Amino acid sequence: MSRTVTMERSSVNAIGRFKLRWGFWGQTLFITLLALAFFGPVVNLLLWTVAESWFFPHAVPNEWGLKYWGQVFNPYSDVSGSLFTSVMIALASVMVCLLVSIPAGYAMSRRSMPWRLAFMLLFLLPQAFPNLTVYMNMARIFYSWNLNGTILGVILVHSVHGLMYSVWISVAAFSAIDPMLSRASRNLGAGPIYTFIHVVLPQATPGLIAASIFVFLESLDEFTGTFFVGAPEVSTLPLLLYSASMEGNYQISSITALILLVPSIGFMLLINRFMRPEVLSKLGQ
Amino acid sequence: MAHLSIQQLQVSYGDKTVLHNIDLNIQQGEMVALLGPSGCGKTTLLNALCGFVPVGSGSIFMAGKDITNQPPEQRNITMVFQSYALWPHMTVAQNIAYGLKVRRVPKTEIAERIKEMLEIVKLSGLENEKVTQLSGGQRQRVALARALVVKPDILVLDEPLSNLDAKVRLSVRHEIKALQQRLGFTSVIVTHDQEEALVMADRVAVLNNGHIEQIGTPEEIYQSPKTPFVADFMGADNRFVYAPKITGKAFRLYLPKTSLELHHLIYFRSSAASICKDLDNRNLDGLTLTGTVEQSAFLGQNYRHNVRHGEQLIQADSPDCWPLDSEVSVHVPPHALYVYPHMARSA
Ligand SMILES: Nc1ncnc2c1ncn2[C@@H]1O[C@H](COP(=O)(O)OP(=O)(O)O)[C@@H](O)[C@H]1O
Ligand SMILES: [Mg+2]
Repeated sequence: MSRTVTMERSSVNAIGRFKLRWGFWGQTLFITLLALAFFGPVVNLLLWTVAESWFFPHAVPNEWGLKYWGQVFNPYSDVSGSLFTSVMIALASVMVCLLVSIPAGYAMSRRSMPWRLAFMLLFLLPQAFPNLTVYMNMARIFYSWNLNGTILGVILVHSVHGLMYSVWISVAAFSAIDPMLSRASRNLGAGPIYTFIHVVLPQATPGLIAASIFVFLESLDEFTGTFFVGAPEVSTLPLLLYSASMEGNYQISSITALILLVPSIGFMLLINRFMRPEVLSKLGQ
Repeated sequence: MAHLSIQQLQVSYGDKTVLHNIDLNIQQGEMVALLGPSGCGKTTLLNALCGFVPVGSGSIFMAGKDITNQPPEQRNITMVFQSYALWPHMTVAQNIAYGLKVRRVPKTEIAERIKEMLEIVKLSGLENEKVTQLSGGQRQRVALARALVVKPDILVLDEPLSNLDAKVRLSVRHEIKALQQRLGFTSVIVTHDQEEALVMADRVAVLNNGHIEQIGTPEEIYQSPKTPFVADFMGADNRFVYAPKITGKAFRLYLPKTSLELHHLIYFRSSAASICKDLDNRNLDGLTLTGTVEQSAFLGQNYRHNVRHGEQLIQADSPDCWPLDSEVSVHVPPHALYVYPHMARSA
């Protein structure tokens, strides 16, 4: 009697194990495929960064080495300079976009504002035309203002592009705030500015942070506008990447792309620290 | 002189007038209830007091000073919002401290007053909690503490109990009343619940469609409603139309000081009516009528009967359950009848 029971149990176990195995392998397969789709290109890129030569039919590089890293980081290369320029431009674009979209977003979040939708569509307008046309025209205008080839010009181009995201996200962030919260603040004796700083802004912060991340990443990646307005005087990492790729130097361009990841991830980590509720509540004090 | 004086106040949203010529005086230390059905303009009146909606005409005086056009932050009238409107990015203590910080009260004094306030509203120990983690009753007390800690000239509460479940509501009702008596603050409380208004307020103002129908002590409002609306709203929801020509066996009205030659609207509470088999041969004062029992419902203490009298249907309570379709007499004594001239007919 007891034996049959154990036998039954073990067979149940076997089925269970089989099911578990199947689930395990299925999952593994699925995740592997997903990872390949996502990271395949990245693996290729990583391989290129440590390849000294790699010819077509071979699956892996013929010669491994860090020669090109040395090239990129030697004092005469302009990678570090471009990296610095890129990050500075991205940070400045974030500042400009926030400066515009905080008041604009707040104003447009109010139902009472006339022409609300018209203003919001205005910020989408540059996106309605082909990028190239917009940037060529901007370059022409900037030329007459002596902004061509200046950092300021590039910042402005990136900001115009970033504003589309940041304004719309800010409008959404400010609109989501319960109007009773600022009413309560006024009710307890705070003026409109105090209320904005201590109640409205902290409530909108998560949205504004999301907007900043967008603007930062977009600016870091931006090529077309920088090319038309900034080149050749202003050199950002994407421009460097472009010329390296054009010369067929996959090693340099891969390493540059990898470096481009560093500020992106760094910025997101930094922002992520600020996204915590405790920090937000400190902002509100 | 009244502490707060509202004179001929009129408020509109666009071309829709929500408050018509409101006159209301509130004495120092008094608790006044604004009672009325949903949408009658109670919240709008509070918003006008706090400066959140512009006033069309009329004026508001606070201790003799005209505050009609002052911005909200300069009035010392604080509000407990219906939705509480606590700031979710601040702790309990930060929420309560806000008004004091704005007033630049020294840090040590702020700490003292928060501690004192937390004790008063029984939230000690929760000062560092996030307000989002509190229960409805606790949030409500934070809102109350936040509004009270700045020592307002007037505290206004917008349906403070409406978001609480029935059991908590009763205890919070008592707490607010006890607090008001202990601290002696002047307050206006908005409610659509007549019982709440009667229990809590020193005086009740009944609002209907942006008009004040009656102002008086809870006893006055309950026992002598001045208009059909107030009578109905205070639970005298039996409406009986009296026409002079229809008298006789089925119906009799004897009232002192009331002309029986005119049309009247008569209101009374079901609990004030009594049911008998036959009252015909006694000449009682008040209203007597006969009718058929159409329906009865058990209410616990007694039964409520729907009695059909011609075209009119009235409700009467009785300790006994009368069988359906039985012929009964209903009697209401004169002091429980609220009689108003029936304009449409007698004109
Ligand atoms: N912001 C507003 N705009 C237009 N109409 C409003 C506004 N607020 C309230 N009303 C209208 O005013 C009337 C009174 O509203 P309210 O004061 O909120 O009533 P209560 O608080 O007594 O329920 C309602 O008919 C409502 O629809
Ligand atoms: Mg209301």
